[in-house]
Amino acid sequence: MTRYIARRLLLTIPVLFLVSLIVFALINLIPGDPALLFVGGEAGKEAVEALRKQMGLDRPMAVRYLFWLGRVVRGDLGKSVRDGRPVLDVLLLKLPVTVELAVVALTVAWTIAIPAGVLAAWKRQTAVDYTATTVALAGISIPNFWLGIMLIYLFAVNLRWLPPSGYIEPWIDPARNLKLMIMPATVLGTALAALVMRLLRSSMLEVLGTEFIRTAQAKGLSDRIVIVKHALKNAMIPVATVMGLQLGGLLGGAVITETIFAVPGVGRLAIESILTRDYPMVQGVVLFSATAIVFVNFTVDVLYSALDPRIRLVEEKA
Amino acid sequence: MGVVWMKRTILAVAVILGLIWAMADGPATAQSPRRGGTLRVGLNADPPNMDPHQSIAAVDRQVFQNLYDKLVDVNQDLEIIPMLATSWTITNAGKTYTFKLRPNIVFHDGTPFNAEAVKYNFERMLDRALASPRRSEIALVDRVTVVDPLTVQIDLEGAFSPFLSVLSDRAGMMVSPAAARRLGRDFAREPVGTGPYKFVEKRPQERIVLERFDRHWDRNAGFLERIIYRPFTDGQARLANLRAGELDIIDQVEPTDVPELKKDARVKLLEREGLGWQGMWINVTAPPFNNRALRQALNASIDRRTLVRVVFGETATPGNGPFPPGLLGSDAGPNGRIPERNLELARAKLREGGQPSGFAFTLKIVPGRVAQQQAQVIQSMAGEAGIRVNIEILEFGALLSQLTTQRFEASLLGWSGRPDPDGNIYGFFVTGGGLNNSAYSNPRVDAMLGAGRILTTAELRRRAYADILNVLNEDLPYIFLYWPKEYKTMSPKLAGFVHISDGMMRFRNVWLNP
Repeated sequence: MTRYIARRLLLTIPVLFLVSLIVFALINLIPGDPALLFVGGEAGKEAVEALRKQMGLDRPMAVRYLFWLGRVVRGDLGKSVRDGRPVLDVLLLKLPVTVELAVVALTVAWTIAIPAGVLAAWKRQTAVDYTATTVALAGISIPNFWLGIMLIYLFAVNLRWLPPSGYIEPWIDPARNLKLMIMPATVLGTALAALVMRLLRSSMLEVLGTEFIRTAQAKGLSDRIVIVKHALKNAMIPVATVMGLQLGGLLGGAVITETIFAVPGVGRLAIESILTRDYPMVQGVVLFSATAIVFVNFTVDVLYSALDPRIRLVEEKA
Repeated sequence: MGVVWMKRTILAVAVILGLIWAMADGPATAQSPRRGGTLRVGLNADPPNMDPHQSIAAVDRQVFQNLYDKLVDVNQDLEIIPMLATSWTITNAGKTYTFKLRPNIVFHDGTPFNAEAVKYNFERMLDRALASPRRSEIALVDRVTVVDPLTVQIDLEGAFSPFLSVLSDRAGMMVSPAAARRLGRDFAREPVGTGPYKFVEKRPQERIVLERFDRHWDRNAGFLERIIYRPFTDGQARLANLRAGELDIIDQVEPTDVPELKKDARVKLLEREGLGWQGMWINVTAPPFNNRALRQALNASIDRRTLVRVVFGETATPGNGPFPPGLLGSDAGPNGRIPERNLELARAKLREGGQPSGFAFTLKIVPGRVAQQQAQVIQSMAGEAGIRVNIEILEFGALLSQLTTQRFEASLLGWSGRPDPDGNIYGFFVTGGGLNNSAYSNPRVDAMLGAGRILTTAELRRRAYADILNVLNEDLPYIFLYWPKEYKTMSPKLAGFVHISDGMMRFRNVWLNP
């Protein structure tokens, strides 16, 4: 087991390296001059050129990448082009916000999705099933930006039950922090819940059709034990992969939801940095997101064995 | 009898005096500023840079109005008024400005404000190592001399009539020499000015917090305890926050929201003529538009009044030049004379330009409903003359790159505007100008633009601009279309707000009613 973990951990390094290389190339290939965006046309071509030199943009892309890599290895993610703030500092500021939004959104999503998926599979082709499936479809189809604005107008402007947007640190005002999280988490959660619910439903249906379930039922075990203790655990395996991906994805930020609800997370940071061609910041955000996704997936893989002892990590035996 | 009479008289007088006192006090109390409270401001973008010598984004200036004092400011009539400078004289044929500075002013870090500080600020802006965008604005400054601690003399290489106007914006904002020397470029993260509010914190894409500076020189300023700026890039979300009572004022609204907001009793909407202009850049260095007749054909096919009515309703004014109403030059030459659409002329110009059956070009625009609608209207109008318009949507950074290197045919892009007419025209049409996306070059226009910034009387400047616009109206490196109006939307609780056409929110004299 430990050898497996060690090997997987080592494999993350080339993955991260490759991701950072690809993104570096892409962002540099996008048309748009960071120096021009920073200083503006009024300053004149001479000032723009001077700034390009200062930003190191006159050096070839490969050289710049290697310099960046060298600094990263030493823990220095560079400084934002906009105001010289260290990239790492900004990321650390955004991290708790993004993590909190991800956790609350997924809690909302999975708390709805798992019981719904189980119910829909258990009571398949009844009214319960059809309702759940239709609601799930609606959840996937409704665009985030529309749902977000509708919720704001309903709950914040008209009913005034919730504050419309923003963020306050939970240690400063926990009550308001939670109130501010409800709507964005709901918006994010609906699409995520729908996917998990549908996947779980079909996975459950597959498991419920197997022989060992029939055996359990024949043994006289109650429905509840059959479903929860036996079927669900097995059905969760493919669903766990998706849930892991969802967590990883949310840790990369949810741009649209963050924009509408003015949540200062990693998503908005990413989009702003791209639009202003803040190369060091983009690289930092991408590195962070990629790391998050890689580690979450790694954790899910390791957890597989907890869900299903059959998936004993093959390396061990060989 | 006499005593009773006296008592009644005294009573009557007392009652009358009491009534007068009550009436005099009543309305006055409602108008007198209340101290305290936190003002929550919604901005359309996150201000990137808090250093006025490094800043280029318009939204930075919003925060600067309250964090920094400037040498001079503008009032509602766009006249120059004193601020850090109490008076000035202009001598030596307009080449020497001598400013008397206000005494007993300190920066937020305790550094005294004086002539030395002013000199330092100018040197910092002119320092090539900083590559300040302000450098081109004050390029004519030759020498800054400290005459005495409260008198500073600035000598220019040549007369420059927009100079005071330039000093009413970022180039006139004074930063603490001690802080700037210590921090260099990093001053942007710990800004120190002399304004009524001092910097507390800036969390990117989240908030900027300013707090009252108790040692500010103006006793009639700084009623609020705190100002919090929050960026909302989505216009709907920004307005929703104002309506929900989470914000007290926002800097911009969508044109489509204006009619409804005018009728909404829960918000206060202020409207003024703006300072900016909008229209199409035309690249005169490459086909098809290196052919003047074809530019004129396009111009003749556009009906500005209809375009504005369809896309903007009442929220913009059709225009034919860079000087909106209220700005000097607004009645100069063709500026305010909106040409009627003339398809016959358009077709004649097409024939003159050797394209009798029309031609095609690509119009580049930024994403967004307003730009798209405009482009579609232009497309349909030009189409009737035989000119086929392809609309291409580009992200702003990419578009800007292409504009400055003339890799485009036509593009919808405007200018936010400045209080002095020179700021609305010079850099755009002078040969090699940093904002001259058209790469237009006309020595006659260059000379007249130069004259416009040397002449000092309004009448003479107006005539120079009239001559320039007559030429530009023929050459058409830019097709002016409209002047957007300036709006501010706020909670009715905000009192004392003075709306100025430059769109900047000045909070030094405002207060919040309960």
